[in-house]
Amino acid sequence: MTGRGWVDRLHLPTLVVAAGVVVGWSIVSAKYGAYVLPSPLHVLSGFVEIVRSGEVWKHTAASLSRILVGFGGAVGVSLLLALAAFVSRTARGVVHDVVAVLNATSVFVWIVISIIWFGLSSWAPIFTTFMITLPVVASNLVEGVESVDRRLLEMGDVYRLDGRQKFTAIVVPSTLPYLIAGMKIGFGLALKVSVVAEIFGVTTGIGYIMNYSREILATQMVFVWALVMVLVMMVTDTLVFGTLSRRLSAWR
Amino acid sequence: MAVKLSVEGVGKDYLIPIIDTVSFTVDAAEFLCLLGPNGCGKTTLLRILGGIEPATRGRVTLDGEGIVAHQAHARKVGVVFQEDRLLPWKTLRDNVALVLRPLGVAAAERTARANRYLDLVGLAGFEDYHPGRVSGGMRQRAAIARALAIEPDVLLMDEPFGALDAQNRRIMQREIRRIWRETGRTIVFVTHSIEEAVEIGTTLVMLSARPSRIRALIKNDGREERTKLIDDLNTMIMEEVERQQGVSRGPADSGG
Repeated sequence: MTGRGWVDRLHLPTLVVAAGVVVGWSIVSAKYGAYVLPSPLHVLSGFVEIVRSGEVWKHTAASLSRILVGFGGAVGVSLLLALAAFVSRTARGVVHDVVAVLNATSVFVWIVISIIWFGLSSWAPIFTTFMITLPVVASNLVEGVESVDRRLLEMGDVYRLDGRQKFTAIVVPSTLPYLIAGMKIGFGLALKVSVVAEIFGVTTGIGYIMNYSREILATQMVFVWALVMVLVMMVTDTLVFGTLSRRLSAWR
Repeated sequence: MAVKLSVEGVGKDYLIPIIDTVSFTVDAAEFLCLLGPNGCGKTTLLRILGGIEPATRGRVTLDGEGIVAHQAHARKVGVVFQEDRLLPWKTLRDNVALVLRPLGVAAAERTARANRYLDLVGLAGFEDYHPGRVSGGMRQRAAIARALAIEPDVLLMDEPFGALDAQNRRIMQREIRRIWRETGRTIVFVTHSIEEAVEIGTTLVMLSARPSRIRALIKNDGREERTKLIDDLNTMIMEEVERQQGVSRGPADSGG
């Protein structure tokens, strides 16, 4: 299924556009030099190099493990918030307001605060990721909980399903698509945000290595790591979330 | 015949009176149709009978036991709503089996009973289908199977065929009549279609315009000629609709 998805996506017009970009890129690169814009070939060889040396796994794993903790924590807390919102109307209002405030807070605020609080450690990117993805996942989940069909719940009451039966048979299945959607957006955001936070104070991770490459004037490696990021994002998107949502909507 | 369901002076106010006072009884194995103009409180009355919402006045008893809102009573009431209200993520079988869980039916028996009632409503072979994969008529059949599966003391149906096209409606009317004969359940069926009520009901209760009272209670035992009965009921419902819209203001106590 995923294999066919990829083939479908790589249709001819896209390939033509991609080829055009590569050609244009090569021309500009030749004109301005490798420091400003390394050539496509240069970037490709850099990519092969980090794959061969295993460096790609080291930094990707470091970034992903931080994301997993920060984003995973955000998903966990969001589930609790959604549960509270389902049980109590008052809690729902509070969650709404908290989410609104968090949504209005800039990434930079959390980066600076997390450096003050956690110093130059892995907890800085983890905390930043947590704070940024929490409102995204939570607002999706709460929306899901709110959109549970009241008529189905009433049916559950008529047939005397108890709270747990209604929760597992009605609330969970109707909220799952919202959870998946929230996690998909949240994960994308997590990858982008944690990498920024990694610029400060850690010595592993894609963000760190990109910034380091810039400092040692290895511009082609900046492009290589950007490529790694894009690949990580696309792979998780299709493999994890694509599969998940397809499996969940099998009944449609 | 034994009285199954007894409605004693039931009334309901929201902000204004919706149901004035309604009293009638339903015998065991009777098929009673509640008729009346749109918005006269038929659905509200059915919801009170089903213990979904409380009455403002009066009481409802089923086999002598009071029906209380929020299902805080021991009697089994099966409800078929205007919409099928099936869980789209569950197969038809699982939809039916689900409502057997609160009754403490064992898993194997739940499946067996779900299959049996799906078969009864003509859905044999479709047990593993999800609601989204079958037609509206079939979904409503599954909803009927679900209501029957709990082996209810009374089966309440709220315009269950309202969303179906004319052909499916005719088919379902014949089907519900057959199911009623085969199961011997007591049925209260809300409809605004006089033809439908005369086609399937053994007793017809015509409600007046809001706040509703009983305008007429007719035994549909074939003694009265069908076309004349339909004509009479049509005349009645027209009067009530006009009254509801304030076209002709009859005396307030003309109902009953």
